[in-house]
Amino acid sequence: MESQLTTSLVTPAMFLLPILGAIAVVPLTRTSPKARALGLGLACAVTAALSMSFIPGVLAGKIYETHVLRLTPSIWMFMRVDAMGALFGTTISVLWFLALVYSAGYMADEHRRGRYYTFFMLALGWTLGVAYAGNLLTFLIFYELFSILTYPLVVHEETPEAMAAGAKYVIYILIGGSLVLLAVVSTFFLAGDQTLTATGLLSLEKGRTPLLAVFWCFIVGFGVKAALFPLHGWVPDAHPAAPAPFSAVLSGVMVAAGSFGIMRVVFNVFGVKLLRELGVMPYLAGIAAFTVVFAAILAVRQDNLKRRLAYSTISQMGYVTLGVALLGPLATTGALVHIANHAFMKGTLFLCAGLLIKRACVTNVSQMNGTARRMPWTMGAFAIAALGMIGTPPLSGFVSKWYLGLGMLEADQPLYLVILLGGALLAAVYLLPIVYVAYFKAPPATADVDERSEQREAPASMLVPTIVAASLTIVLGLAAAVPGLPVSLARLTATGFFR
Amino acid sequence: MEEGAHLAYSPLPALLVLWPLVAALFVVPLGRWRESIRNAFVVVATGVALLGATALIPLIATERRVTCEIPGLVGRLVFTVDSFSMLFALFTTFVWFCSTLYAIDYLKHEHARDRYHVTNLVVLAAMLGVVLAGDLITLYLFFEALGLVAFLFVIHTETDDAKRASIKYFWMTPIGGFLLIGGIFLTYALGGTGAIGPFPAEHGAETLRWAAFVLLLLGFGVKAGMLPVHVWLPDAHPVAPSPASALLSGVMIKAGAYGIFRTVTALFRPEVWEHIEETLWHFSSQIGLVVLWAGIATMFIGVVLALGQHDAKRMLAYHSVSQMGFILAGIGAAGYLGAEGAMGYAGGLYHIVNHALFKAALFLGVGAVYVRTASLDMYKLGGLWKKMPLTFLFTAIAAAGITGVPLFNGFVSKCLVHHAIVEAWELHEVWSLGVAEKIYMITCGGTACSFIKLIGLVFLGKPKAEYGPEVRDASPRMLGAMGLLSVPIIVLGWRPDLLLKGVFEPGLHTWGLESEILEHFLDVYFLSYADLMSVVWAFAIGFAVFFLGMRWGLFRLKAPEWFGVDHWYRRGAIGLVTACEAVAEGYEALRQLDSRGLRRLGVAYHAETDHADRAWRRFTVTLFTGATGLHAQYVIQEAYVALERERQATVHYAIDAAIRRLREHADTDQEHRRAMIDAVRDISSYTAMRLFKERMGVLSDTLHVSRSDDVRYAFARIAGELGAFRKPVAETAIDLARRRIEGENVLRETSAATNRVMSEERFDRRLDSAMPCAHRTARPIREALPSAAAVGDLRDRGLGTLEQTGKWAADMARLIVQAVTQERVTWMMADHVDTGSVALTRRQIQRYARDMSFNVAVLVVVLLAFLVALAGNR
Repeated sequence: MESQLTTSLVTPAMFLLPILGAIAVVPLTRTSPKARALGLGLACAVTAALSMSFIPGVLAGKIYETHVLRLTPSIWMFMRVDAMGALFGTTISVLWFLALVYSAGYMADEHRRGRYYTFFMLALGWTLGVAYAGNLLTFLIFYELFSILTYPLVVHEETPEAMAAGAKYVIYILIGGSLVLLAVVSTFFLAGDQTLTATGLLSLEKGRTPLLAVFWCFIVGFGVKAALFPLHGWVPDAHPAAPAPFSAVLSGVMVAAGSFGIMRVVFNVFGVKLLRELGVMPYLAGIAAFTVVFAAILAVRQDNLKRRLAYSTISQMGYVTLGVALLGPLATTGALVHIANHAFMKGTLFLCAGLLIKRACVTNVSQMNGTARRMPWTMGAFAIAALGMIGTPPLSGFVSKWYLGLGMLEADQPLYLVILLGGALLAAVYLLPIVYVAYFKAPPATADVDERSEQREAPASMLVPTIVAASLTIVLGLAAAVPGLPVSLARLTATGFFR
Repeated sequence: MEEGAHLAYSPLPALLVLWPLVAALFVVPLGRWRESIRNAFVVVATGVALLGATALIPLIATERRVTCEIPGLVGRLVFTVDSFSMLFALFTTFVWFCSTLYAIDYLKHEHARDRYHVTNLVVLAAMLGVVLAGDLITLYLFFEALGLVAFLFVIHTETDDAKRASIKYFWMTPIGGFLLIGGIFLTYALGGTGAIGPFPAEHGAETLRWAAFVLLLLGFGVKAGMLPVHVWLPDAHPVAPSPASALLSGVMIKAGAYGIFRTVTALFRPEVWEHIEETLWHFSSQIGLVVLWAGIATMFIGVVLALGQHDAKRMLAYHSVSQMGFILAGIGAAGYLGAEGAMGYAGGLYHIVNHALFKAALFLGVGAVYVRTASLDMYKLGGLWKKMPLTFLFTAIAAAGITGVPLFNGFVSKCLVHHAIVEAWELHEVWSLGVAEKIYMITCGGTACSFIKLIGLVFLGKPKAEYGPEVRDASPRMLGAMGLLSVPIIVLGWRPDLLLKGVFEPGLHTWGLESEILEHFLDVYFLSYADLMSVVWAFAIGFAVFFLGMRWGLFRLKAPEWFGVDHWYRRGAIGLVTACEAVAEGYEALRQLDSRGLRRLGVAYHAETDHADRAWRRFTVTLFTGATGLHAQYVIQEAYVALERERQATVHYAIDAAIRRLREHADTDQEHRRAMIDAVRDISSYTAMRLFKERMGVLSDTLHVSRSDDVRYAFARIAGELGAFRKPVAETAIDLARRRIEGENVLRETSAATNRVMSEERFDRRLDSAMPCAHRTARPIREALPSAAAVGDLRDRGLGTLEQTGKWAADMARLIVQAVTQERVTWMMADHVDTGSVALTRRQIQRYARDMSFNVAVLVVVLLAFLVALAGNR
């Protein structure tokens, strides 16, 4: 299928809209919180709708391009929506919308809401910019912006733990970011400013060594964000410290942005053929496989719920990298689909964790006995997302694991199935006991007397986004094959890469 | 597939699966409204499902294979029905209908009835989905759903026992699911397409084939209660409410059997048109043997464990394990015999149907007893046949079925399986299969014994307690359900041809297999003397074991805990979690170590740089003051402070003397007084300063050639004597002051006076004489040094360009340093503060200046070296 190029003015609007929203927050904070909530919700909803509007065109083989700004005489800031970008962009904006609606309830009694909303909306703009970036420099600009400007969200609570986590976050992200910068500059040197196309920019003409150096710089740089094993240190600290709606997007799409970057590097910068010749992918696959199992093992022991979920994120993102590293169309499909599916499953889990913190004052797994009796809807959503995480059919987690498993066989490496299923088994070990105790253990005796009304189910503003995210887990599984949902976009992307 | 390729389309299978799901949506609203209407609704819903399954019979009779698809999951969900699937669907819906009918009354004393009925319908849908599935992914979807939703059956009563059992179930189900999906993935590696049909021949390695098979066998085996993954079953089945136990043990367990059946006879077999070639059946016959032996082991161990139970439901659950062994043995024989496996097919499948019927009936019967007596302990019941005659009748029919009494259904299937094993033995005369046949007979005996025990202890004999009026026959609906189940038990015992000819023959033909042997069975073997005698033998063994066991209490023996695989699974599970914790702790410790190490490294770094800094400072100080070593430094520092004090004291003394003198002369002119004092201060300052410098110079010179301790000692001895020279300084200053006030230049006089004082003092001589070893004076060493003439000589002879430049640079540096130091010192001398600490500060500032100047010097050197290098290049 030949792709047609179409110039679109919608693309820059995509990231400008949230940024305008963020600017509008400041005066609105003074005047009326209600107007602010409405305005931001509207901006976010329009962004989500616009991101979805690309999908039919992309499925028909169109690629939307926009030259936004001339940075230097030869380098443009350039947006380009292909199937992969459309998939990631839609995932981002939908999850963000859910998290924003949830924030209205969650942040109601928190301090410095103006700052929170400003940076929350800005982060949406930057992240969408990452998804729709058309060349490496644009990618780099948005990547760095969203990495650094999310710091105020990580430390929002301003507790000592949050500040420490924030410091750790910044150190990790800056080191990763500077490696990415180095790699991007080297790529410019080797290939010049070029559009990210499906065939790759680099070639073996310049010799193996510089290519290898650039590759590992990219992988280590993005690996920090994607939480690959030795670089994952910030994830388990940043998540429990951040407010729940931000944890949800942090885990759901921002960690995935690192994986997205790795995909861009592997498929668009290097290209499948070149990487096969370089022979580096087996090492990456090994690292990713180790990450999957090791993070899952660490998750088993965590008592803090959000920390446990954070380790789970590390493990699940390992699947994505593993799928990319196998260099096969089915495995790539699985990896891409898993980004979208994981976003909503982990989003649900973190939103539920936030509800538990707000309504039942529960932060640890050991306090969760009998919570399902008090919060049946919350725990129902939690159970669905947990089962999805394990890969139970017909939930969405199964779909991505199905493609990943088939991809492993296609790459002729059936032993990775042990990793796939071992990770899923460990996911069962760290998630299912939570569901079990919530439903079948008696709640602690003291809890029911005082503040009975406080411990009931959450208000609709928080509950509805959670339930919507959970039902997306079901829909993305049951109706996975419907065109326009992640599987179709991912398959289109994968066929483009492996043509 | 020549005939199988023809697939007719019909939406019926999909409707059959979706109907209970749709019906389940209405249960809760109806239950909230009126319980009785909900009850009627669920019975009707299962009845409709039964009718739907019955409607498959004519469809399959004409079309042989029917298929349909609905969109969903990663593509489409495919349902395909052949004769075997239809058979499973039929008995599933039938038993479900009976169980639901029974449950209405049974659940009256249970809680959460809505939940039960929702679960009931959803599990029915899942079960139908499994047996009607047309490809592996659909099969897996419904298999997992079945396992997870049936969890609600197991935990329904929420007693402690139920929770314990449910946890075990909770873990075994997902683990089975993982093994199963792993196996399904591997079938793709073997060239499969996901369809339930043979793989392309000679595709994939032998090991991969075995791995796929073992994973599938274990994955399905968990649900089927196959040894050694049966451990959850005897715990989970009895704790559910009786109608649910009947479903779990009678029907759901067959989902696993169905999977193993399809694995052995559909996946791992040659393509249907290839069945003539013997060699292609090789792998199939090997796995058949594995399944056959798994079946033999399961049946024997199951029955042995059943004999040790006193809880009736638990005993029935163990018999489910054992009976699954019969089924597996039949399926295994079918696989082993390959193209001639019709007898195995028939035996395995016939027994699947039979077991569903009589095990469900038995659970319902025992459940009825429990409803009336609230007891399940066989040793505490007895003589109930009078109180509950109809319950007794139906239970006895079911028991006759399971023990294989002729003209009941179990007899037919057991004979079929037996013939299949004998056939397998005769095929290659493998002696181990002969042993298997003997074990089979013993197991039949054990089964007989168990049910003699059940019927004998519960219904016959004398009552062991007084029963009140509440112990009466079960309610009509419960009896109706049990009666319904009894009908096919008898019918299938009388008319085996119904299934053999009606279902198995067309089914076998669809898969390209011969079925003449079934005709042969009906004509020759059915109710033959040999088969009847085997039943007699089984009962003989059964009675013998029963009486011996009751007499010697053999049934109450308990095996040690480590004997069961259960124990080892638990250890394994605990081990896994412990291992996870150990890894996490190790990682945490490593991280701690890491951060502590980093911290220590930081401290060490700071200490080292500090050290280096001090060494550098000492080096520069040494370079400029000439003193070497730390001690000499201290001596100089001490001496500096002492001499500086002395200098200030001298100035003070002079000023005091001047003031005294002015007072004596009663000079009242303020102007004059101030001028006088200023002049005295200036002059005495100059003198004291020179004295100070001279003394310091002597000291550092001496330090070059003497031990620093000696110098220090000597200096301490003479320090007190220095005060004597204040007076001459003061006198000179006062004398000269007048002339200075008058505007005269007194520098020459001042210098002369200072020289006089210095020659009087002879500081160097004093120091020398005060040294402990006076004979070792500086002189000889000084003489040994090169004279100025020698140095000049050297200069005349000429150095290399570089040497000259270096020397010049060093001289320059010294000059710069001196200049800077001088400036500082004079500037410092100019003010009039005078305490020890200030002196120290001054000293430090001086030192700083020196360091700075040295740095500047180094810079200059580097620059020069650079210039020289440039010059050399040119």
